[in-house]
Amino acid sequence: MTTNATSALPTYMTAKGFCLTSGFWMMVATFMGLLGATELIAPDLTENIGWLVFGRVRPIHVNLVLFGFVTPGLLSSAFYYVPRLLRTELYSEKLGVITVLAWNFALVTVVVSLAMGYSQGREYAEMIWPIDMLIVLAFTLVFINLIMTVAQRKEPILYVSVWYVCAGIVLTAVTFSLGNVIWKPNSGSLVGIPDAILLWFYGHNVFGLLLTPLSAGVAYYVIPRACRAPLYSHTLSLFGFWSLLVVYTHIGTHHLLQVPVPTWLKVISIVDSVAMVIPVMAFLINIWYTAKGKLGEIHADIGAKFVFTGTIMYFFVSIQGSMMALPDVQRVTHFNNWVVAHAHVGVLGFAGMISLGGLYYILPRITGKPLYSRFLADFQYWLILIGVIGFTVVLTIVGLIQGNAWLNGETVYRILPEMHVYYVTRASIGLIIFSSAILGLYNILRSIFFNPGEIS
Amino acid sequence: MKMTPKAVVIGSLLILATIVFVVVFLPYATRIQLPSDIFRDRTAHEADGRAIYIANGCVYCHSQSIRSIDWGLGAERIAQAGDYIQDKPILLGSERTGPDLSQEGGEHPDDWHTAHFINPRYTRPLSIMPAFAFLGMDDIKTLTTYAQGLGLKHADKRIQRQRFWKEKAVRAYESGPEGNVKWLHENVPEGWRNLPNPYPTTEAGLARGHKIYQDFCLGCHSPIGDGMGPAQPHLNPPPLNFTILKDRGVSGGILYYQIMNGITGTAMPYFKRELESEKIWDVGNYVAVYFINQTDADTEPKGIDAAYEP
Ligand code: HEC
Ligand code: HEC
Ligand code: HEM
Repeated sequence: MTTNATSALPTYMTAKGFCLTSGFWMMVATFMGLLGATELIAPDLTENIGWLVFGRVRPIHVNLVLFGFVTPGLLSSAFYYVPRLLRTELYSEKLGVITVLAWNFALVTVVVSLAMGYSQGREYAEMIWPIDMLIVLAFTLVFINLIMTVAQRKEPILYVSVWYVCAGIVLTAVTFSLGNVIWKPNSGSLVGIPDAILLWFYGHNVFGLLLTPLSAGVAYYVIPRACRAPLYSHTLSLFGFWSLLVVYTHIGTHHLLQVPVPTWLKVISIVDSVAMVIPVMAFLINIWYTAKGKLGEIHADIGAKFVFTGTIMYFFVSIQGSMMALPDVQRVTHFNNWVVAHAHVGVLGFAGMISLGGLYYILPRITGKPLYSRFLADFQYWLILIGVIGFTVVLTIVGLIQGNAWLNGETVYRILPEMHVYYVTRASIGLIIFSSAILGLYNILRSIFFNPGEIS
Repeated sequence: MKMTPKAVVIGSLLILATIVFVVVFLPYATRIQLPSDIFRDRTAHEADGRAIYIANGCVYCHSQSIRSIDWGLGAERIAQAGDYIQDKPILLGSERTGPDLSQEGGEHPDDWHTAHFINPRYTRPLSIMPAFAFLGMDDIKTLTTYAQGLGLKHADKRIQRQRFWKEKAVRAYESGPEGNVKWLHENVPEGWRNLPNPYPTTEAGLARGHKIYQDFCLGCHSPIGDGMGPAQPHLNPPPLNFTILKDRGVSGGILYYQIMNGITGTAMPYFKRELESEKIWDVGNYVAVYFINQTDADTEPKGIDAAYEP
């Protein structure tokens, strides 16, 4: 603590580090997505290149998006706003930088191990044991840094963003360890149906206890600041926070509604999936009422614009999700590209948008200079918005074709040619998103390292 | 409520612990450990194949979980918890880019799988499954063993059936074209053998037949029907060379029956799920007209003319 108390100006090394991490891995992750999409159009494009086979590219894409792009982006903002909100400095920038390095090292091992075929075969929990340990360690380091910052705070009251980050990190460290069955290093799994139940308990909590709380933290910070308005309601913040923790953690089994798991568990997951409107609307009403009449201010700030759009996506993905948990709907939507559309609205449209928004909001503040190019950021905003909406439309159509055809007794093989043209469109949209990631990385690099801007 | 750091961290951990107890631990404690009627232990070789399945992410395109609403591959049997009691990890899958594989064992003979894994387009021209030739022949064999065990006891029965007929098919093939065609046709029920194709040959019908042939048959029987498609080197007996059928008593009914039902023991799959009746007649007649050079379409006995005929 002493080291920090004496240093004059905060350097925000940790925030910058996570910002670069997010920008870089967004580029790699979206490239892997684009590659996978292309392989579904031209399966022999990478023939005989084992480490680029679709079944290895896909988990690399998914894990990099979650742990390489979105999470570090959200953490970058957190490492800026947590000390600010607590009127103190980060407990240790040194520890923070070590965390960034460990995090990136873990990501490299993720890519290499999955490309080489070292996988435990469980979605979102593919990584082998040593990498699981690295990730748990990284989360622990983040938690220590944040909680020690909280401990040395000069502001007695904890703002809602701080609750979300602290809870999100500690709960993820726990559910990640549980979900990856880290007490069984060899298989990293349980046996039979309980394995599926545990996996999807964890899998859903990646969105519910990691992406959602960290995104909510950023939204709760950026929107009131950008609007220069107090938060609409403290009661709603409290209600939204606790109901999120209680309800979200119950619903993982809605991924298993058509599988022989106990019926009572399915019923809980369906009922609570519908009940998700409570935490979702508590959060959204709070944010939207704070911004009421202030959309001009939000439009004027590129960071806030990203974040606000993210909250709208959150509305759609959650309403859609509640619908998808109904067994009658799932007869059509399960097992096909409808779910992939939903996943992209959630992870790119909601959490990804807010992650980028947080970065663009804090970049001028951690560099002390204006953003290198507001135009590029705005351009990226539109590319991603078009990308997410395009994905949703195209993949939802494919999903409906697949789901209805199967219900009607058509075979999987017969539908393949019908999907082709949509897959081509989807890959083109993927190219748009990949391009936007390159622009984003360029903008971040120039803003941090070669920024000609005036000192603000 | 005052949100102190303790309230946030300890409070949320307590909530999590309670929920883990309810939605993870309780189902675990009450799990079904009784094997289902089809359950048997997996062999060591099958387990090795399963590891290859996991390493190459087959699970992202294939489910192993048949639902009550399914029609396709494996739909004869709905999944039960007791099927999975040794799966570690369980590989239910979350997307069906390819078909469900719960009951894949014995659907095809081993040689079909070899050709399919080397490049799925060899046996399924429109497939978007990746080629797995890079695994090498040893791993492809191991993977095939796993695929052939999917469905456990039910798979074993189907495999026995495949082996039984494979032996006869190979012997017939080795006896030369005359004997092979004789064997092939004597296994077609008599009613079908004497049945000509009841529909007239039309340009539109041939065009449809051509399209179906390209989408379903070409990788084995080849574009010119001589059985030398890219899958041929891996199949035994090799895909039929249609030209040998000329003047050997083939009929529209035989072609229809073989395409509909497949020839168990050989790589020739059944198409009754994939092709409606009209499509089977059309592709059969396409084969007859272009490759065998002999068609019985529209000859007697053909019954009452179909309503759509001009
Ligand atoms: C990109 C998605 C994809 C991946 C990855 C994939 N498959 Fe497939 N698979 C398909 C599609 C599509 C089909 C249907 C067309 C065909 O038969 O090739 C299929 C068909 C099959 C079939 C034939 C089913 C039948 O009887 O008609 C088997 C067996 C199979 N896959 C096994 C595997 C194995 C084993 C792996 C991993 C080594 C794998 N697949 C990886 C998409 C995929
Ligand atoms: C995976 C390879 C494969 C595919 C695909 C395939 N066949 Fe075959 N086909 C075979 C083999 C092998 C035989 C049997 C050869 C033998 O036993 O000598 C055969 C036999 C046949 C016969 C039997 C002829 C007779 O007189 O009994 C017909 C008819 C036939 N195929 C038509 C088709 C049609 C039409 C398609 C596409 C809809 C098709 N096949 C797709 C491999 C294939
Ligand atoms: C109220 C909120 C939500 C509900 C009720 C909900 C519901 C669902 C359901 C039922 C599925 C499974 C679909 C199936 O397999 O048939 C699903 C999948 C998914 N959801 Fe949501 N969802 C919600 C919000 C979100 C959010 C906010 C995100 C992202 C941050 C998200 C990301 C995903 C992803 C990535 C999948 C795909 C999982 C897979 O790999 O199969 N969801 N959701």
